[in-house]
Amino acid sequence: MKQDRRGSWYLLTGAVLGVAIGLFYSWVISPVEYVDAPPYALRNDFKDKYRALVAAAYLYSNDLLRAEDRLAQLKDDNTAQSLAMQAQRALAEGRPEGEVRALGILAMALAGGVTPITPGVSTTQAIMDTPSNEAGTITPLPVEPIISPNVSPQPSLTQTEMVNTQLPSNTVLPTRTATSTPTPGAPFLMDDTTLICNPDQPQPLIQVVVQDAARQPMPSIELVVTWTGGEDHFFTGLKPELGLGYADFLMTPGVVYSLSLAEAGQSVDQITAAECIADDESRYWGSWMLTFIQP
Amino acid sequence: MSRSTKFMIAILLGAVAGLFYGWVVNPVEYVDIAPESLRVDYKTDYVLMIGEAYQVDHDLGLAVRRLAVLGSSAPTDIVANALSYALQHEYASQDLSLLQLLGESLLTWNPNMEVPTP
Repeated sequence: MKQDRRGSWYLLTGAVLGVAIGLFYSWVISPVEYVDAPPYALRNDFKDKYRALVAAAYLYSNDLLRAEDRLAQLKDDNTAQSLAMQAQRALAEGRPEGEVRALGILAMALAGGVTPITPGVSTTQAIMDTPSNEAGTITPLPVEPIISPNVSPQPSLTQTEMVNTQLPSNTVLPTRTATSTPTPGAPFLMDDTTLICNPDQPQPLIQVVVQDAARQPMPSIELVVTWTGGEDHFFTGLKPELGLGYADFLMTPGVVYSLSLAEAGQSVDQITAAECIADDESRYWGSWMLTFIQP
Repeated sequence: MSRSTKFMIAILLGAVAGLFYGWVVNPVEYVDIAPESLRVDYKTDYVLMIGEAYQVDHDLGLAVRRLAVLGSSAPTDIVANALSYALQHEYASQDLSLLQLLGESLLTWNPNMEVPTP
């Protein structure tokens, strides 16, 4: 009688063969069909289309709850921020103005929690980096007015209390005086110009806040900064955590800049980095905070 | 039991194990899908959004392009399916009207009138 010396390896071979057959069947012969999928599984570009469509539909219905519910299906970490960022991308990519506008309006409505009736009305408040000096470490000294705009603000507008009340008590050493140049018929006017001294933010920035007539931040506003031999464009709303109407530009010390809104608006000339002095006599760069408003 | 029978059983068990792994332990994750694969209720809402947007921009070509991502069916069929689902599930009358209006508008749509977009 013959002895079978092949052992049980054939069982393992069979199991491996079975797995292979199963995978071949499920991957090649009858691959998975994606059906009944939720919106969060959409490809990124389709998610963008979905958001744009939600925003476009919102313009019709003004139903913020419905828009929120629809956007929640995408499971974004921060819905308003995602919309604002998409608005920026859409603007940069030259997408239709209506799409950008719809995204911006819905982003503002979500951030503010109310439903705007007309485009351009938003409800959020710009947030800025505030100086964080420890009490007693800096001698309180009044900040002298640095910029004297040639054009007076509109009588109906008030100064930006948020900026002025948060000024640090540092001595400001302006190296140049900025002068605003009015543009006839401009839709935006410069409302306030302040040098911000914040030791925690020692880079020389041009910080811009653009607000509508209701003093609400306006995202997706294109700003143009020019200097001798150069020009750059930047947009409000790229840093939603600082406010949807906020934008900033890093200056090079010693270079003189002019800033204006891409669509007609008041320009601000002769902007250059200015130094601030802390109580311990150390020097650091301050930032210019320019507030534009729509009268 | 013969060796061949055991061998077949091993293959069967292997296949079962493979399917269990693929369906239960490590199931398929839906990522990077197209709107065409959305669940029918989401798809209906997508069409409804297109209808709402159409009431604002009145751009039928844009509505058709938006509907195109929902499949290769005719735009009118896509809207008809959405309307059918909305009726079955008793959507609000305003939503039904929007779908109806979109569907009726599409009946007048002539693709030859479309201006290609860059």
